[in-house]
Amino acid sequence: MDTHIRKVYVPMTETGFYILLCLQQPMHGYGIVQKVKELTEGTILLSPGTMYGSLSKMEKDGLIALLREEEKRKVYQLTDLGCEVLALEKERIVRLYRNMKEVR
Amino acid sequence: MGKKIMVRFFTIPEYERECLFLQEQHRQGWKLDAVYFPGIYLFEACEPEEVVYQLDFNEEGRKELHSYVQIFRDCGWEYLFSFMGYSYFRKPVKDMQQEEGIFCDDASRLDMMRRVFKSRMIPLIVLFALVILPQTFLQASQRDGSLHSFFFYTYVVLFVFYLYIFVRFFLHYRRVSRQ
Repeated sequence: MDTHIRKVYVPMTETGFYILLCLQQPMHGYGIVQKVKELTEGTILLSPGTMYGSLSKMEKDGLIALLREEEKRKVYQLTDLGCEVLALEKERIVRLYRNMKEVR
Repeated sequence: MGKKIMVRFFTIPEYERECLFLQEQHRQGWKLDAVYFPGIYLFEACEPEEVVYQLDFNEEGRKELHSYVQIFRDCGWEYLFSFMGYSYFRKPVKDMQQEEGIFCDDASRLDMMRRVFKSRMIPLIVLFALVILPQTFLQASQRDGSLHSFFFYTYVVLFVFYLYIFVRFFLHYRRVSRQ
């Protein structure tokens, strides 16, 4: 993993995290919006401009790959690099959670 | 059905003010129909309604317009048209459950400003540094006849106008990145 990827994605934005989390399965942008809405009980509503921009940036950086297009909707999935970045972020969040519980 | 033309100028960093202007027109019963020329807006009479207008600047998206527009459409945003690199979207407030825009975090708002900066501001800065800045000083040093004065004042006006755009952009960028 090069320094550019580390700098941009470790740590990452909440939007970025949810996108990578969802793309462990093949999914299109609007599918991610719906999934995140469901996961967070409507608290997080991802916007299309943010979603489109993030997906094309992540595709360019090699974190996700375009699988196919379904009725004008681009379906993506994580690449090996994407899995690696997601694993790092999960580790960070687990550490954050653990520290939150320990330090009072 | 009534139509009207309005002239309003917004400099590069003022797209948020442009959106508010369009929202205000819709509230008064005028929906945006087209932009003909920078600053010339065509409106069509409609039922007054609270509708949010948003601008995106995404050259990649415009190259693959179908899939770009589709995700906005899925999220309930109507795509109007693209003009001078900006894509225009709107969504009625009654279709929203909470306050909504086409961006939901500051990272993506900054990304849009960076795209605007790259394709809009950099050519202006080059023009400013190579033409307007040297010409303003050149004309200032050669002022004698009325013709020179004319050029001098033209360049001074351009000089001030460009500085104004740069300062506006800088302040806007700083405001967004500090949030």
